[in-house]
Amino acid sequence: MIRHILLVAAREYRQIANTRSFWLTLLIIPLALAAGPLLSRFADKSHGETVMLVDQSGGQVGSAIRHRLEIDYQRQMMNALSHYVDRHDLRRAAPDALWVSKGRWYSDADVAAFIATGGQKAAIAQIARISKSDADAFEAPPREYRVVETPAAIAAAPRGAMDRVLAPLLRPADKSGHKPIDYVVLIPRDFGASPVARLWANGVPRASFVATLQSVLTSQLRTRYLLANGVAGPTAAAAASLAPAIGVTTPPEGSGRERVVIRSILPLISAYILLMSLVLSGSWMLQGAIEERSNKLIETVLACITPNELMYGKLVGTVGIGLSMIATWVICGLFAAFATHGAIADLIRPALEPVSTPGSIAAILFFFVAGYLMVSMIFLVIGVMSDSMREAQGFLTPVLLVIMLPVTLLVQAVLRDTGGPIIEALTWIPLYTPFAVLARLGAGIPTWEMLGSGATLLLFIVIEIVALGRIFRASLLSGGGRPSLAELARLVRRPG
Amino acid sequence: MEALKLTGVVKRFGDFTAVDDLSFAVAPGEVFGFLGGNGAGKTTSLRMVLDILRPDAGTISVMGRPPGRSASPDLGFLPEERGLYRSMTAIDTIVYFGRLKGMAAGTARRDGLALLDRFGLAGFARTSVEKLSKGMAQKVQLATAIVNTPKLLLLDEPFSGLDPVNQGLLEEVILSAAREGAAVVFSTHVMQHAERLCDRLLFLARGRKQFEGTQDEARAALPVQLTLTASRSPATLEGVAEAREIGAREDGWHDWDVRLDPGGDPGRLLELCTASGFPLRRFEQRRASMHDVFLHIVGGAETRP
Repeated sequence: MIRHILLVAAREYRQIANTRSFWLTLLIIPLALAAGPLLSRFADKSHGETVMLVDQSGGQVGSAIRHRLEIDYQRQMMNALSHYVDRHDLRRAAPDALWVSKGRWYSDADVAAFIATGGQKAAIAQIARISKSDADAFEAPPREYRVVETPAAIAAAPRGAMDRVLAPLLRPADKSGHKPIDYVVLIPRDFGASPVARLWANGVPRASFVATLQSVLTSQLRTRYLLANGVAGPTAAAAASLAPAIGVTTPPEGSGRERVVIRSILPLISAYILLMSLVLSGSWMLQGAIEERSNKLIETVLACITPNELMYGKLVGTVGIGLSMIATWVICGLFAAFATHGAIADLIRPALEPVSTPGSIAAILFFFVAGYLMVSMIFLVIGVMSDSMREAQGFLTPVLLVIMLPVTLLVQAVLRDTGGPIIEALTWIPLYTPFAVLARLGAGIPTWEMLGSGATLLLFIVIEIVALGRIFRASLLSGGGRPSLAELARLVRRPG
Repeated sequence: MEALKLTGVVKRFGDFTAVDDLSFAVAPGEVFGFLGGNGAGKTTSLRMVLDILRPDAGTISVMGRPPGRSASPDLGFLPEERGLYRSMTAIDTIVYFGRLKGMAAGTARRDGLALLDRFGLAGFARTSVEKLSKGMAQKVQLATAIVNTPKLLLLDEPFSGLDPVNQGLLEEVILSAAREGAAVVFSTHVMQHAERLCDRLLFLARGRKQFEGTQDEARAALPVQLTLTASRSPATLEGVAEAREIGAREDGWHDWDVRLDPGGDPGRLLELCTASGFPLRRFEQRRASMHDVFLHIVGGAETRP
């Protein structure tokens, strides 16, 4: 019996693995993995926006804006350095430096100190002292804003003519080959006496840019106001830069609300992958079953093996296809983690925690295989009852809706951490148990609930195989035509 | 030991009795014709032999054992409705079915290639079935049935859909299998094939056996038919049931279609004619075709109520 099952499974596996759609599907996720970083890199580059400062008030305000943008960029740089040294375990390069403290909020004073001590160049030199190759591998984050030179004609243009002279810069002609300037900031001659400044944007301006601009201009206005009212220069400058010191307490990295989301990433991906691979491999198996019926193959096969051997062989073959797809995707993920010098691994390390214990791995494997058996059996019976894909669609569409809709809701509920009775109820409905348990692994699922729902699922699969197996056997050599629900119920109750 | 033996087999589908008290046996080396019209119960009987269906009553013995997949290494089966996995190559298909019947992969491949060579398909071993012509695919399917050199070969309407060349090939396969000691059972409703191939026949109608025996025994069930050329009517001769004039010749001679009484002996009639001085120019016994025999024996029993 085992020999026959394995022979059928191997043939089923080969048949599916020989299709173009199988390979396309198999490559979709690795390609997406590879394309993701490339696209994000491309997107990052495209996000660098150009800023032109036209300061007709003497240059002090323009310098202040330029300084603010630089401070913000250097803060980004310190963050990037802190993540980099943490990922590559390079803290010993400068144990006392601020830029090795991952997760810290860097104040303006911290950033100023970083710049004063040599900034990125000095940090890289310190890293190079313990690892030259690591120092070379560090990539500075892209600048969000790049201040471009202001042409003299624009700097001297009267306020009334500004719209006209800026128009070719903000909206250059297609044939000019020039890229449009994203922002032009005009600080008029009378700024201080008047609070008015102008911003031209080549589209809807980023809120963060407007906030930065407003903060710098407010500070400048206050200084000028205080100076105009007789306050000494240093006092005025200090007053303008006064800001509340807000003590921010956040949970340690990877805990609290963030913890639930991070820990749920891989379990949720598992649930989605299970769903996706199930639907795909189930459809392929269904096509195979239809082929056997429509090509009048069944009788030849049944002369050699029993209907049960055929059924189990098909199920084993489909589970094999599904597990191969998942194994390939996992291997590609690991390869990507290595290929990106651990950047992805760095991201998923906290997420791996809930799925890396032997118990979790066993649970994932069990619910994967059980999920496959349960849903594949449904697909198999649909296939064996249908003479064509068109006929199968009549059964398939409602089945897919019943499976997919609640699973989608379930995943969203876990992500929003809204848990509650719905998720718990879905855990105990065998059709959704594999997805619910996998999705809940990150947020935490009581052991008794996992064992109980697993046992219920197992019992359901046994009953399903017995009941649907009767339909399978009865449908194998039937003359075709979709059986009615009453007929199906009769077959389930009584062996054909 | 018989290769196949059915004893009092009954199969019902609800109120419908598809096979009713069917008994027969087939010996090794024998070609056995399983003859009947559409719906006579031939396919149902073969499915019971293959254990695809279970009888409601009676017993079946295949190579001395009850039917089951344990017998599949000794069985070859060609179904009436034929089909193959379209994306598999010819040789992979043969190997797959060979292995399902318990053969080792290497042996199945070696024997499969030999069969493809014998069928003129050596150059198509690695061609997928979907790229083969219908006739080629039928040969591949025949190869899947006999790759394991079966001791019992079951062929359900094997000649349907075959072109004359492939029909000849199939006849050769059947005869050579029997020569090598296999029992061959084939169902058909085309009597010419049965007439050419079968050692013994079974006529089935409405699920019941109507006749079992050799072709001569089957013909003996029909009244003897003679064609006489005589100057007088033979109707008055002893043993003649019916005499019908079918043509006139010159000088008063006539052709007569004569049927004897059931069990009548044509030799006895000739002896009587000679002894009594009954003038004859022609005395010819006509050999009944199996088609006539089938119609005579099965006749109205074919029509289900």
